[in-house]
Amino acid sequence: MRRRARRRFWHRALTGLAVVYCLFPIYFVLVQSLKTAEEDVFGYPLIVLHPTLENFEELFVPSGQPRGFVGTVLRRSYPFFVWLENTIVVFSGTVVLTLAVALAAAYALGRLRPPGYRWWRRVIFATYVIPQTILFVPLYHVVNALGLDDNLLVLVLVYPTTALPFCVWMLSAYFQHLPREIEEAALIEGAGRATAFFRILLPLSRPVLVAAAIFTLGTIASDFTIASVFLLSDINQTIPAGLGTMEVALDELLAVAGINLMAIPIVLISACFARGYVRGLTAAMVEGA
Amino acid sequence: MRSRAGARRRREVGLAYLLLAPAVVLLGAVLAYPLAWEVWASFTGLSPLQESGPAFVGFENYRLQLASPQFWLAAAITVAHAVVTTAAKLAIGTGFALLLARPFRGRAVVFLAVFLPWAYPASVSVIGWYWTLSPPITTSYSVFMGNLKNAVDGALGSGAWAFLSVTLFNIWRGSSFIGVLLLAGINAIPPELFEYATLECGSARQRFWSVTVPLLRPFLALSVFLSLTTGFADLANVWMLTAGRIVFPVIGTQAYWLAIGAGQFGPASALSLLLVPLLLAALLLLFRLFDAPEREPA
Repeated sequence: MRRRARRRFWHRALTGLAVVYCLFPIYFVLVQSLKTAEEDVFGYPLIVLHPTLENFEELFVPSGQPRGFVGTVLRRSYPFFVWLENTIVVFSGTVVLTLAVALAAAYALGRLRPPGYRWWRRVIFATYVIPQTILFVPLYHVVNALGLDDNLLVLVLVYPTTALPFCVWMLSAYFQHLPREIEEAALIEGAGRATAFFRILLPLSRPVLVAAAIFTLGTIASDFTIASVFLLSDINQTIPAGLGTMEVALDELLAVAGINLMAIPIVLISACFARGYVRGLTAAMVEGA
Repeated sequence: MRSRAGARRRREVGLAYLLLAPAVVLLGAVLAYPLAWEVWASFTGLSPLQESGPAFVGFENYRLQLASPQFWLAAAITVAHAVVTTAAKLAIGTGFALLLARPFRGRAVVFLAVFLPWAYPASVSVIGWYWTLSPPITTSYSVFMGNLKNAVDGALGSGAWAFLSVTLFNIWRGSSFIGVLLLAGINAIPPELFEYATLECGSARQRFWSVTVPLLRPFLALSVFLSLTTGFADLANVWMLTAGRIVFPVIGTQAYWLAIGAGQFGPASALSLLLVPLLLAALLLLFRLFDAPEREPA
């Protein structure tokens, strides 16, 4: 009995520690964004006594309108609303494109199994080995040749490659595990391949699709480099690229507010699907056998 | 009868290639040309600073890199960085997964907390993280952080704090991803197996090594590979964020610096390609562990 109580105590202590470790940085950044300039300098680091949303409001001051001075330095405003729009366009476009392409490839590899399908899958996955370091130099040639310089479409084109290999891997493993009879029953009934796919396989693979979507969102939301290399003019930038151009010394609080404004929606979306994400990962690797 | 089955199979294969095409075209357009360019550049003295066309230099770029002690130092630090962060992520991630393995009150909340560091977009959290640890102006915490930075830099050399802080950030985020991935793996293990193991194995440690780890093998291998290939991304982000002011002593940012800062595309390409064989070897090894098991077509 005492051993059990001790175990329970340790479990609780470690769980508490894990929660603090995971949430502290997020909490810290959130608290800073709620501070006034005065409290930012003279207040306590870890708590906010007079929370305010003025930093968030200031983000939406229209571009071109000066926001006052610090000493003799003019504080310029940023087209944050445009960045927000750009980010939504790029992220939703990328997720949809990635899922569509990954589904097609995964169906081919997991169900139709062309000769050497195992190697196709391995080669697609192995593209993760290619060092991203200076890849953007030659990538610029491709982008210029396509006439996409400083265009949001670049990201919709480049981002999928960072998530696609894992999504193909996961979805094709899931499709491969599903017994053949599932589709064959429908095919014998006279339904076409497409019908069988959309009516039977797609609904079945919903948890795995959710997992793939969340993985894609998490992966592309972590990129700062590609966005800031390819999007030059400020009306074409996404939030990460735009925040990177801010004058930190003048606009620290504004930038911190921007960080939260980008992070909160993504965190909420991910949190809503968190359970499905785990279920999908499990299903992809094991289930359906 | 046989030829009809053959025709059907041929149609299937044709359809398969058609469906694979978008993925192959996308990966090819974005990765194949740049990769080929990089390989080609690594054999030349390509530089935007030169007026004349690039001269073919053979393996000279590679030879020079391999001969310089600087390269070996950077390679050692890169490998050590990858090994340390991966080991830390695996350890913490496994801890998370084990804590969450069995039901308890508030498990859903703890799970969400563990999930958040990865879900929190790293593109912006790296900005916040970096400015928190090296505050640009006077804030209420900048004295504390400044002292910390000076202490670490004083003990380990300048730039150590920046490197260490990004590494910690990478571990913070990666351990969350691996924890969730391993939890997915544990969920797949039938509970009866655990019950059986409790009866058979003496200690909890024995149970962990002889039951949990082997069953989680594919998930562990996948975690290791993804950690190895993405470990560098955060350093790259900070390099971009500081406009290249901070050159970390790892191969990736040194290649950046050579290419963008010094305009030496040839050596930079060679430098960044030198790690590929190592990664490829790791991948081939790991494929054996996480590839979907062979199943006879029914």
